[in-house]
Amino acid sequence: MIGAEEGRRRDVRKRLLLGLGGVLVIAALWQGTIFAYELPLVVLPSPWRVIEALLTLVRTSAFWKDVGVSLMEFAGGYLIGGVLGIAAGLLLAESRSARMTATPVVEALRFVVPFAWIPLTVLWFGTSYLGKLVLVAYAVFFVMLVSTARSIGQVEPTLSRVGTMLGMGRWQLAMRVHLRAAAPSIASAARAAAAIGWIAVVAAEYVGASAGLGLMITNAATSLATPVVIAGMIVIGGVGAAVSAVVRWLSRAWLDYR
Amino acid sequence: MGGLGSQLRGRVRAHALSGLLGCAGVLLAIGVWVLLSRLLAGGGGVINRLPGPLPVLQKLLEYASQDLLQDLRFSLRVFVVGWLLAVVCATGVGLLLGRVRVLGDVFLPMVEAIRPVSSIAWVPLSIVWFGFGFTSKAFLVGLGVFLVVIVYAVDGASRVPADLSRTAAMLGMNARQRFVNLILPSTLSEVLIGARVSLMAGWGTVIVAELVAADAGLGAHLISVQQSYNVPAVIATMICFGATGFIMNQLFSLIEARLLPWRAGILESRA
Repeated sequence: MIGAEEGRRRDVRKRLLLGLGGVLVIAALWQGTIFAYELPLVVLPSPWRVIEALLTLVRTSAFWKDVGVSLMEFAGGYLIGGVLGIAAGLLLAESRSARMTATPVVEALRFVVPFAWIPLTVLWFGTSYLGKLVLVAYAVFFVMLVSTARSIGQVEPTLSRVGTMLGMGRWQLAMRVHLRAAAPSIASAARAAAAIGWIAVVAAEYVGASAGLGLMITNAATSLATPVVIAGMIVIGGVGAAVSAVVRWLSRAWLDYR
Repeated sequence: MGGLGSQLRGRVRAHALSGLLGCAGVLLAIGVWVLLSRLLAGGGGVINRLPGPLPVLQKLLEYASQDLLQDLRFSLRVFVVGWLLAVVCATGVGLLLGRVRVLGDVFLPMVEAIRPVSSIAWVPLSIVWFGFGFTSKAFLVGLGVFLVVIVYAVDGASRVPADLSRTAAMLGMNARQRFVNLILPSTLSEVLIGARVSLMAGWGTVIVAELVAADAGLGAHLISVQQSYNVPAVIATMICFGATGFIMNQLFSLIEARLLPWRAGILESRA
């Protein structure tokens, strides 16, 4: 047992080292390209300049305000869209006639990608918080609706029969059996929806915003501050990964009864 | 026979019911739309620019008779070039990283680190690098699709079922035969799934890239009508985007059913 544990630890260490090697190779290629083609800072800043830009950014309060604005827009839309999406998905899964009625409309709207709504939300809501909220809610809503309905449809029929046998009504069956049984796949859809919602916020901020990370990096790009652009991209990726980790952690805690 | 007949009749009835209810749903949605546009016409708060379906249809026809085809051709060219290049590159890289253990260990963490940075976040950088033309958009689409497909390709390449590779060894296949008959098909069938999943991601990237770096294409049209506050035309363009995405998805499903008939059921549940 101890041997296996040690072996696994060595394996992890080896993997970490090799991964680090990969980072070094990429950094060397990056730096090498700059030297070989004598690229100016505007085109491709060196990794060090990017880290430098990142460190300066982190020290300004405007940066944290941008992060806060983007996160608020995301969180509000995510919660609204998520709750409504799961509720609507549950309804469509439980009622056949509701499903038949809504399917064509849902399918049609599902193909209008959230990004295509950006100009319209700008026209309707200006550059305000509300516009991004609606956009994220729209994006998350459809992901959650479709996956909730699908995962409840795949719940083991025996479970429903057991529930009926125990004298559960339709409503009880939906809430206490179907939703529970489908929870793991709903949770993984929630993670996918978080990634989509987060990137929708960034995209919306490109087109019309008064603050936020998307606006920050487009502004940096128009003033040709490339190190800041790349630093901003790293932050966007980092926040996206963090959001996904939080959703995963929350859903694990929620699913712990299993 | 009687049982079969009644079963069939039941199925026909269910079909008719679903069609009827579906039509009712569409009509209901249009009704709500008309009602909302009437209610908001007098200036109902923030959304005071919601045209009814008729002006939108009119704009749609107008656009269709003018620049739609030209814009569509441009957007689709960006999409197809980026998507194809990315799928081919991802297959090659996936084979390398999935089969050569060391390369996988060295570079896969790097790929995993880049993946959360969606291709959308690359838009400003891509504009700095390639400007507003065709190249920057094709690059963005390619990047987005590559980062999706690479995961599937590595998966397919590294997870050839063990009993199959043992069988291959038993049959005395040499390395080349094993690659052509075992590893390549396993990788390609996963790549196909990835290509399908990335379809909508790639199309979304086209939209954002054209909205920001607008010089031609559907997205550029969308931004130009938006800037002239022409809401019916904005909604008409959105419909064009949705319809194109839908058609692409259906086309790809057809191709897929041809290439991987045994996969059709799995894909339905994954897509």
